[in-house]
Amino acid sequence: MYRFRFHGRGGQGIKTASRIFGTAAFLEGFYAQDFPMYGPERRGAPVAAYVRVSREPIVNRGYITHPDVVLVGDETLLFDPVADPLRGFSGGVLFVNTMTSPQIDISGELVTLDVTGLALEYIGRTSAISAGVGAIACKIAGFSKGTTMEAVERELEELGLSEELIDKNLRLAEESYRNVPSFDLDSLPSVRESDYIDTNVVHVKLDEGYVGVATIAKLGNTAVRRTGSWRILKPVVDLNKCTGCKICFAYCPDVSIYLGEDDKAYIDYDHCKGCLICSSVCPFKAITMVREVKTL
Amino acid sequence: MSKFRSVKDIPDDEYVAPGSSLCAGCGSEIIARHMLKVLGKDTIFVNVPGCYAISTLFPFTAVKVPFVFAVFGSGAAVAQGIKDGLDILKEKRGINNERVNYKVVVYVGDGAAYDIGFQSTSAAIHRNLDFYFVCYDNEAYGNTGFQLSGATPYASRTSTSEPLGGSVGNVYRKKDIFEIWRAHRAPYIATISVSHITDMLNKFEKAKQFKGPKLFVALSICPTGWGASEEETVRIARLAVETGMWPLKEAVYGEVKHTFIPRRLKPVEEYLKTQRRFRHLFHPVRREEDIKKIQEEVESYWKRVWETELSK
Amino acid sequence: MKSRKGMMLTGNATAAWGARVCDVDYIAAYPITPQSEIVELLSKWVTSGEMKAKFVEYESEHSMLAGAGAASLAGARAFTATSSQGLAYAFENLFAVSGWRAPMVMVNVSRGIGMPMTLQVDNTDVFSARDTGWIQLHAETCQEILDFIILAYRLGEDRRVLLPVIVNMDGFFLSFTREPVYIPSMEEVSEFLPPYEPPHGIAFSSEELAYAPTIILGHSYSYFKYQMHLSALKAKEVFYEIAREFGDLFGRYYGPIEKYMMDDADYAIVSMNSFTSIIKGAVHRLREEGYKVGVLKINMFRPFPNEEVAEALKGVKGVAVFDLNLSPGAGGIIYPELLRALYHVDERPKVVLDFVGGLGGKELTYGEIRFMVRKVAEALRDGGVSPYATLLFTEEDTRKMIADMEIAGKKWGGFR
Repeated sequence: MYRFRFHGRGGQGIKTASRIFGTAAFLEGFYAQDFPMYGPERRGAPVAAYVRVSREPIVNRGYITHPDVVLVGDETLLFDPVADPLRGFSGGVLFVNTMTSPQIDISGELVTLDVTGLALEYIGRTSAISAGVGAIACKIAGFSKGTTMEAVERELEELGLSEELIDKNLRLAEESYRNVPSFDLDSLPSVRESDYIDTNVVHVKLDEGYVGVATIAKLGNTAVRRTGSWRILKPVVDLNKCTGCKICFAYCPDVSIYLGEDDKAYIDYDHCKGCLICSSVCPFKAITMVREVKTL
Repeated sequence: MSKFRSVKDIPDDEYVAPGSSLCAGCGSEIIARHMLKVLGKDTIFVNVPGCYAISTLFPFTAVKVPFVFAVFGSGAAVAQGIKDGLDILKEKRGINNERVNYKVVVYVGDGAAYDIGFQSTSAAIHRNLDFYFVCYDNEAYGNTGFQLSGATPYASRTSTSEPLGGSVGNVYRKKDIFEIWRAHRAPYIATISVSHITDMLNKFEKAKQFKGPKLFVALSICPTGWGASEEETVRIARLAVETGMWPLKEAVYGEVKHTFIPRRLKPVEEYLKTQRRFRHLFHPVRREEDIKKIQEEVESYWKRVWETELSK
Repeated sequence: MKSRKGMMLTGNATAAWGARVCDVDYIAAYPITPQSEIVELLSKWVTSGEMKAKFVEYESEHSMLAGAGAASLAGARAFTATSSQGLAYAFENLFAVSGWRAPMVMVNVSRGIGMPMTLQVDNTDVFSARDTGWIQLHAETCQEILDFIILAYRLGEDRRVLLPVIVNMDGFFLSFTREPVYIPSMEEVSEFLPPYEPPHGIAFSSEELAYAPTIILGHSYSYFKYQMHLSALKAKEVFYEIAREFGDLFGRYYGPIEKYMMDDADYAIVSMNSFTSIIKGAVHRLREEGYKVGVLKINMFRPFPNEEVAEALKGVKGVAVFDLNLSPGAGGIIYPELLRALYHVDERPKVVLDFVGGLGGKELTYGEIRFMVRKVAEALRDGGVSPYATLLFTEEDTRKMIADMEIAGKKWGGFR
């Protein structure tokens, strides 16, 4: 059995990518199982999807904790403690969507491609990478180009995309497929390992009083979460133009703008999710947006 | 006269923390933030399933005041229990720490305000409960994938009113929750919009003087469900007000007064065109009749307002 | 208030007195037959000033329970009462209140849940709440209603427990039946029941809290849910402590179960609630007929007294479970609970049979009780034990049905 795990950000089409791969596996004659992470998925927030592919009937379910192949749709997720895409990865194939050549210390094979760049070129949108990532998974697994393209078409049709848009996506899929290598998955060390994870069960005891009552005592503790990694575009304040009018501060949904001692607007990049409302409301056009430089 | 004349007057204190998992550009966060700035730290925040529940996912919470999570239809009933419970501790048991004097605010989406929680809300208003009830209205069940609610406007696409096979999308009219509440003769009712911050702040401030139910319905832009870019949140909300689709008003013991009266309305399509949920009104063919229907309803509303309020 | 001697009281009036002597702070109400008398009385007392509390009539049981639980979470001692449809309508809030760990008390006046609509008893209503995290105490007599309410507050409010409690009584058979009840004074009760100050209550917690956050991940959900379970289990141990103290103060001793003529019994009838009185009465006659029968009454349904039940049935040859309830497709609801308690002990009854009777307040006759014991005796002798429940339905019932069906215009000739 081959276990594929897809990581991305809400809105990138990671679930669709996993479904393209699942359908392609089915078309190739495999038993397949695909499913997304279940939870409150939010645009920009880390999401994951999972695919099991096997020549034998699959008698397993649930999240894949020890993947053979990991596909990362957004490279900033690589070291995100919440997404943690390398968790349980021990020597298979890692694909990263990146425009640079990252040095990642992993055991196993590293494959990279700038799918975002290709998406911009073929579709005109940086976030529409599902066909590309789906096709890359197919190529890694050694599926034929024919089934890959059919799977892309089927899944995008189901989403109700226009013919024109599907054509563009097929071109993106083709280009992505062409630019990555295939692997003999059976030779990967992880695939030969057991699917059974050994754990120890502990004895859970009663915690008296209200320790065991589901409450949170540290109010406002989301502040320790770095939602700044959600950004695709980044607002930048031109302090020469900023008059300290506070309008951006008023409209920031995430309490991520504060006024400095000089009474000018400063952005809390640890938390700013990059909605860019600030840029759109600034009467002095002092806040511009720049593409987030994603470095590892 | 008004306490908040410009955004310069916005209180510095923040009772909502950054770092929650709510969508980037979510209107409900802007409303919650300013609501708590005015209500202050001595507030108990009652919440129910809906988008804003994402603010508090164990082990994290973005809300810096006491927070109680209730079932979908029980927001107002839980507010009643908390308020009554604290009152009786004061009156009967002589407990007088600062918490027994806390205000209670119920913060819910339109599903909980217009639909499943309407009965309990109506009853709490009927009992003249001294509380704040604030609905962030994103005009559909946003948290479950944007299904039709009683607050969904005519012609909106939702995931249960797809404009397929020549359908217009949602065929029902949006419930007029302001008028339904007003029929209860609540002391204070107001509509607010994320675009008009000082109007919002002043209304929360004004509500403080009334004992009894203080009810707010806020237009809360949902970039994800509405199909709009996040940075457009405020611009779309402003267009809703300027096209007349979202009137800003208040009612004190039933007496209505608009807090913003546009002299001339922008065409509704300027608003509709900003969102993919109305895209089928313009593509592939323009649905003139439906656009006209929306425009005429807005105009007839404002004609009445101009006649009554401008002539005064 | 002076210590009161016995008074003739209905079960409903007794429940109201229970709330009164426990000095509850908050009463959330909504009318439903056969419960309404409870909240009517409380409303009168609060309005007249005889009772110092806040009384609020809600617009539904769904809101009523949410409000009562929220008041309890705020730090007020809260009380409510309902029945059948009302309990079902409030159902999701049963989970909310136990999840908040708000130790309020609710009296359920047991009645079948429609459709078909009935006003009469069928314990399926209260048993359907068994998985909600509420402790359940079931009363056989009016006196037990009063005593169990007092015990319920002390038990639920104990810091090792912090769970809400249902006190159940049967509709009509207790709710509208008057019998002598001994009511202690508020002062006497206050010796037993200290003021309610929940450690996590809104008004009392050391730090401000976010209550009942949504839990996305399985490990934290498992932990908190299991803590509720462990707290519920702990409630049995706490019950022994407080029931002893209660007995020393008031002279009436209770346990999670009650044994009646069980010392030398070959057969036992397991029963709960008011019909147990009828069965107890029948036991004397059955013994005259040569059946050495005893009765095992279960007072506490959650947590379920597994060890006590197994111990009480040690040495008993055959057991008949009287289930005044029905889970269609399974049978009686007490029956599988009992089997769980027995399966793990070596010395257990050879035969355990299930009987469903008394549904909709149908009379439970001596003949039906004897039938249960005879069936158990036969199974012991001949084998052939079935896991399926037998309905207690008499020839007289058949005759009545034939007559009714004829009037209703339906062709039915009775059982063949």
